[in-house]
Amino acid sequence: MKATLTAINQMQENGVIGKYAIGGAVGAVFYLEPSATLDIDIFVSIQTLPDSALITIAPIYDYLTAQGYKAEGEYIVIEGWPVQFLPPGDPLTEEALAQAVETEVEGVRTWVMTAEHLVAIALKTGRAKDFARILQFIESGVLDADQLDTILARHGLLEKWNRFGYKFLGEMGDNQ
Amino acid sequence: MSDWMRKVLESKQQMRKYLTALPFSKKIELLEKLRDRHLSIASNPLRLPRKI
Repeated sequence: MKATLTAINQMQENGVIGKYAIGGAVGAVFYLEPSATLDIDIFVSIQTLPDSALITIAPIYDYLTAQGYKAEGEYIVIEGWPVQFLPPGDPLTEEALAQAVETEVEGVRTWVMTAEHLVAIALKTGRAKDFARILQFIESGVLDADQLDTILARHGLLEKWNRFGYKFLGEMGDNQ
Repeated sequence: MSDWMRKVLESKQQMRKYLTALPFSKKIELLEKLRDRHLSIASNPLRLPRKI
């Protein structure tokens, strides 16, 4: 993955992308124990054309394919890792990208979303594997409850969070 | 719950704490090994759908 992140950083240095942050399962590994995943989700800010509001990731694909990397469906395989580039689609992911934490992988600088933003995005996405990851975050004790509440409230996710708690944590709470 | 089962669960929790506390680079190294193993298992012909 070091080589993958180096290639993405180079793309940033060349101005193809702006700020980026690792999200999804790989982002979660920053805070939790490692678990198998096959791809990397990279949330990325892309500059729109001056006379257009349209956001497109075509420049990323054009740049990477010119470098010899191959696209496979919604992924592009960079140094052996399928990478999905995701422009922020809503204020939550925009905020998560802006507040991402700087870190290193084997000496290569990179950015990871905060644990609270990863949980909020997982809650909003709402697939079974997202809920499983939220439970892992809760069990690990790494979440800042106040910070999470603020994010959930700001992005209208409190009701969904309460439903999640009732569905998945109700029985745990009863047993304690 | 038996003592043996309790020990197993405690041991699991300790292992998870240990893994969680590892540096990000080390976790990525482990994640890459998990991924390689997953891909290796997935490519095993025994896992491919059989023609009936």
